[in-house]
Amino acid sequence: MNKRAIQVQLGIGACVVCVFLILYAIPYWISAPSNMRNIVLSPRFWPYAIAGLTGLVGVGMLFANRKANADDAPVNDPIQDPRAGLIRLAGMAVLMAVTFWLLPRIGMVWATMLAFASLAFLVKTRHPKTALICALAVPLLLYVFFAHVAGVAIPQGEFVRLP
Amino acid sequence: MSVIDSIMAGLALVGNVEAIVSLAIGIVIGVIGGAIPGISATMAVALTLPFTFPMQPINGILLLLGVYKGGIFGGSIPAILIKTPGTPASSATVLDGHPMAARGEAGRALGMALWASCTADLISNLALILFAGWLASFALSFGPPEFFALILFSLTIIAGVSGESLLRGALAALLGLLLATIGLDLVYGTNRFTFGDPNLMGGLNFIAVLIGLFAIPEVINMVWNPTGHIGKVQALGGKWVTFAEYKRCFRSIVRGSFIGVFLGAIPGIGAAPAAFLSYSEARRKSPNKANFGKGEIEGVAASEAGNNGVAGATLIPLLALGVPGDVITAIIIGAFMVHGLQPGPMMFVMNVDIIYGLFIGLIFSSGLLLIVGGLAIRGFKPVADIPKRILMPIVLVLCIYGVFAVNNNIFDVGVMFVMGWVGFVMSRYHIPAAPFLIAFILGPLLEDNFRKSMLMSGGSPDVLLRGPITWFFWALTLIAVLAIARGTLDKARDKG
Repeated sequence: MNKRAIQVQLGIGACVVCVFLILYAIPYWISAPSNMRNIVLSPRFWPYAIAGLTGLVGVGMLFANRKANADDAPVNDPIQDPRAGLIRLAGMAVLMAVTFWLLPRIGMVWATMLAFASLAFLVKTRHPKTALICALAVPLLLYVFFAHVAGVAIPQGEFVRLP
Repeated sequence: MSVIDSIMAGLALVGNVEAIVSLAIGIVIGVIGGAIPGISATMAVALTLPFTFPMQPINGILLLLGVYKGGIFGGSIPAILIKTPGTPASSATVLDGHPMAARGEAGRALGMALWASCTADLISNLALILFAGWLASFALSFGPPEFFALILFSLTIIAGVSGESLLRGALAALLGLLLATIGLDLVYGTNRFTFGDPNLMGGLNFIAVLIGLFAIPEVINMVWNPTGHIGKVQALGGKWVTFAEYKRCFRSIVRGSFIGVFLGAIPGIGAAPAAFLSYSEARRKSPNKANFGKGEIEGVAASEAGNNGVAGATLIPLLALGVPGDVITAIIIGAFMVHGLQPGPMMFVMNVDIIYGLFIGLIFSSGLLLIVGGLAIRGFKPVADIPKRILMPIVLVLCIYGVFAVNNNIFDVGVMFVMGWVGFVMSRYHIPAAPFLIAFILGPLLEDNFRKSMLMSGGSPDVLLRGPITWFFWALTLIAVLAIARGTLDKARDKG
């Protein structure tokens, strides 16, 4: 992606967000008292102002892009295999979703141990033994600190409970 | 309470081993965090924040300030040894620091960086002590219209942290302002974007948003490109900086410190411009100007004095007005809030012991930085060798525990994950995260003061221009906007 493509996509995106906010999100997702006498005191006033400014910035981006010189150089550093990169990103999204789902079910310690090991596996660490030791030790140490020093009620889950 | 009483109250708070140890640990964490490329001082402060929850407020805040100060210095270590600034503030240090390292004088460059950093830090802390109280006593007479005008002016910070594109910075700020509207309305208590979920009624958790925005994108970036590697570490060499060299560079160090103090006290400018300005001034005035860029020790001293001069001064608007001076102080505001403290003029009345405790702790921090920094220089190599593919899973687990601990709420972990993806997409589109965070913090304050002003005046906008203080801030805002517009146009003309 070059600078121009980024600017165009962001400009269009900002305009779409502006229209969506003004026409749908703010009227339907923000409740305001029906007897509002002064618009500036309404709970909708501030979001409308932000939506309007977003639209202006979007238009500004499109306008600035029209005046800018063509520059086809990619703005992000290239990676060796973008397809594998996308698969890893999808894996990361799944990892986060599963961790979030597991946190209340099996407990934070076990869920984060799994998350640690899975992430190290996902990025193909060259130190699998160290990763495994850290995957066990780091969540346990953090549990000890937060549960026994800070007094935080770390979720224990429904299966194996720690002291 | 007299000044002496306040100092005594402050000493009672920090005159114990626990406070000094907190500060020292903070500096160690900061130096290590700043020294690891990819962690940065900002992320180090964000990750340390949850560990301050069980601590006394003063110790927790001192720990974070230690991380901040240590992080700014720590960034100079990889800048000199591997030509990779650990923090953006250390970019100017690369110019002369790395050429010195390349010719086997890394120890000399790092020694000068440390001495210059400590001197600038001390000057910056003294400036904080002198000016914050004065500014706060002035701010005690502020009402909602004055605060609205001040916060509006503070939002011009965004121009300073927008990086290459002002429009992208503005877009990030608007997104931050929009997300800050989530929750119950401040005046009427009606729902705004809550979808009936009780978790959203209090708004998005600030710590979850900031950790999601600053730490998680680094983890996702590593997943996207796991083989991104750091450069070759240079040896320290046998030569060390001498007192005669420090004396020769002293004028540049003091000049750089004052540049840092001045720029740091203005919200939004930050350490990197201060370092570059200090560097260019030192080059302009130096008899050795031809050596700058080729490994001149005065260049290292000036850039480090510039960036460390900022570290105390950014706390002036934070403590006196409740407005963050840069991204890191924006995170430190979170620590104040978590401990039930509201930075701003009232803190100088309600919590004067904490204010003076912080001042005394900060004076200690310059000395501690000298000791810890000296050890860190020698111990950098093992830190640089921590494999990133082990480090990032540790960061992920730290983030999960830290964010959960704020409210004992798993929903916040979900918010952090989502914000992590938002931050990753923003980084791919080169949208800076700092304006987002600053707008997220200042947005509710801006809206709250605006609506309070309107309620006071029965809806008349005249109240926003009710006296000399509001005129002053409106004039500053106008000047800042004009300067930003002029700078943007000049940049566009240079490119065109």
